[in-house]
Amino acid sequence: MASLGGAEGAVQTSEAKARGTLLRGLLDQMPLLALALLMVFSALATERFLSPMNLNNILLQASVMAIIAIGMTFVIIAGGFDLSVGSVVAFAGCVAAWVMLETNVVVGMAAGVAAGAAIGLLNGLVVTRLKVSPFITTLGTMVMVRGLTLLITDGRPVVGEYGLPDSFLEIGRGAFLGVHYLVWLPLLLFAVFGWLLHATAYGRRVFATGGNREAAYLAGIQVDRVATSAYTWCGAMAGVAGVMLASRLQSGQPTAGEFYELTAIAAVVLGGASLKGGEGKLYKSMIGVLIMVVLANSLNLMNVHSYWQRVAIGVVIVLAAAADQLRARRK
Amino acid sequence: MGHCGELLSVRNVSKGFGGTQALDDVSLSVRAGQVHTLIGENGAGKSTLIKILGGVHRADAGEILLEGEARRFPSPREAQAAGIIVIPQEMRIVPAATVAENVTLGAWPERRVFGMLPAIDHRRMREHAAAALARLDFQGRLDARMDELTFAERQLVVIARALSQKARLLILDEPTASLEHREAERLFGMIERLKAEGVGIIYVSHRLDEIVRLSDACTVLRDGRVVACCGRGEIDKEQLVRLMTGRDLEELHRPHDRVFGEAALGCRIDDESVADVPATLAVRTGEVLGLAGLLGSGTTEFLRRLFGADLPHPGDLAVAGRPAAHASPGHAIANGIGYVPGERRLALVMDLSVRDNIVLPNLRAFSRGWRMDEGAVDRLVAELMEVLDIRPRDPSRRVGDLSGGNQQKVIFARWLVGKVGVLLLDEPTQGIDVAAKARIHKLMHDFVAEGGAVIFTSSEIPEVMLMSDAVIALRKGQVVGSMRRGGDDYNERTLREALGG
Repeated sequence: MASLGGAEGAVQTSEAKARGTLLRGLLDQMPLLALALLMVFSALATERFLSPMNLNNILLQASVMAIIAIGMTFVIIAGGFDLSVGSVVAFAGCVAAWVMLETNVVVGMAAGVAAGAAIGLLNGLVVTRLKVSPFITTLGTMVMVRGLTLLITDGRPVVGEYGLPDSFLEIGRGAFLGVHYLVWLPLLLFAVFGWLLHATAYGRRVFATGGNREAAYLAGIQVDRVATSAYTWCGAMAGVAGVMLASRLQSGQPTAGEFYELTAIAAVVLGGASLKGGEGKLYKSMIGVLIMVVLANSLNLMNVHSYWQRVAIGVVIVLAAAADQLRARRK
Repeated sequence: MGHCGELLSVRNVSKGFGGTQALDDVSLSVRAGQVHTLIGENGAGKSTLIKILGGVHRADAGEILLEGEARRFPSPREAQAAGIIVIPQEMRIVPAATVAENVTLGAWPERRVFGMLPAIDHRRMREHAAAALARLDFQGRLDARMDELTFAERQLVVIARALSQKARLLILDEPTASLEHREAERLFGMIERLKAEGVGIIYVSHRLDEIVRLSDACTVLRDGRVVACCGRGEIDKEQLVRLMTGRDLEELHRPHDRVFGEAALGCRIDDESVADVPATLAVRTGEVLGLAGLLGSGTTEFLRRLFGADLPHPGDLAVAGRPAAHASPGHAIANGIGYVPGERRLALVMDLSVRDNIVLPNLRAFSRGWRMDEGAVDRLVAELMEVLDIRPRDPSRRVGDLSGGNQQKVIFARWLVGKVGVLLLDEPTQGIDVAAKARIHKLMHDFVAEGGAVIFTSSEIPEVMLMSDAVIALRKGQVVGSMRRGGDDYNERTLREALGG
């Protein structure tokens, strides 16, 4: 009797295990499945969705957000949060436009990225040194940086008398192998930062700091430095995104980037990163970005009223947060 | 004494989680006015049984009878309503609320202002709280905030809350794990009074002395099964260990063949917050130094300062005979010093793999320019998992999914990677069972036998005596004495007097 029960138990166990692995694998690739479903649905709903022009459009729209999401993934995995990226996009774009009108294109672009990194560094220092919560810190810099941008531009786009230099605008228009420069750039940055996050000792430190700050500290990791570096990357990435957007818009727009922070956070969480820190994959954040962009694009193509689009995107954000909780509970 | 009817009866209860059978056909019964102790190694099924009784889990099979009547508890609410109250190790309190508010938590007496507006009746609330606490000999103020209380006082508040809920069966899960000697005695006195009032008690503990002393009946669990059920007078410590582990107590005694070498870590303690009179702390290779102190006596803080996790150092440091200063854990590790905190959750990143947790303090050593030498990490991790017998033997497994004992081994493994010379261990055996404790003691002994040095803290005086070659005693943050094995004063009584327990 007993041995029979034991054997049965063993069979059930291995079956349960196999089922568990399959289920976990499916849950693990949820974002990819969701994206695939969304694309199939969009392709069936409107024929224009699969047209080369529209696909190109999607990639262009995703490019700016993808770069912001790369930085956001770093901050969120390191256990932080950054609401200021939307304002930094506008700030960096305006600084870049302004500086390049005074000097040259290269210095201008560098100044834009540096301005973003500086705001990120400020966020990091306030969070780690003054121990202000990331939410409040970056809420503060979000408002402050937007105000600063409006101040230095007087609320008007930065274009100069004869427009921005042609070589700068070429970045926003040009293409290589039929793909826009603006799409190549996030691919390049994704490769570099994916490797930094997932293959280097620095990347392990980021995960450890976000996963358990005290344990990382006691293991000799300089957690404050790691967290500050994550905020700095995030600011720098928002700076790059701002410069890109300026070249596409052919001007520095002081009101650009509004709500980008929320879209970026939503994309990263959709991609499975935990808001508690210590968990996430860069490629999944990219999938999250594509979900957000494809959703907006197909709603547009289906002529859904823009007010309803906001409602839909809001619902997706809440669903993503709920999925985050479900995942946490599964442990 | 009240009548001795059967209060609770657990019949043939089984419970599985995924592939593991946590409880297998477990039966036991508790009489009113009796203490029924529950003992077993970590993972033997004690917590699962408690959670089923408390309504957190539901049994797969079997039944629970309360006063002869079959009952089901779909949630903790129903279990509490039936008078089954669990006092877990991690107590649920509202730290910012007062003692009186916590005793009456969720059942605050109300009154109507002007006959209509509902408001909390503070006077009655205080009366209720005072009445419940009076039975427990509580000496604090009713208006004190919970976070101003000691651990023992908070425990009394939680028990008072249980009693005001008309507890018929009180389940205490390792209640003395964080108590001082005197506080534990007070708890035992309270248990006696509750017995006299006819309350049934299930008492879970790893401490064999307590089990022998308190048990009216004792159930020993191993691998989810009841391996023995004994009555009062049938219980002795050696037999309990054999039943729990299937082995003898012999292994717990350490061999006395340590060979001391050169100075490993020294500290001339001159900080007045630690020592009125400058004292010296010194540990040589091959030696174990015990930092003895009761709970809250500052041993943990002292150890953290030695490691550089908190500053300043308690005095000038010397590593391997040379003056050294480490301003952060990173420097301390570079100086060959490792630290194991008292709680596993402070040491491990639960979401990371076993492998990543092991290399965590040694990332620099495995960095080759801008990448990691993954091959070298894999080889070393595989070897350490073999040596320390970490199960399952899967380096990519999430550390949070491992059992407590295996998590502890992962923490040790990481300090064996970097060839650390001095290990600082904070309460390495607190809250773990006899067998796991013996394994930790063996690890400590092996570490010093191979030329390492250990400084460890403990509030368990017999353990300090057993493991140390030299002891420094701390009381209220101050060094109050030191002794060395072989000296006339090296005994439990002297140490206990020094500590004021």
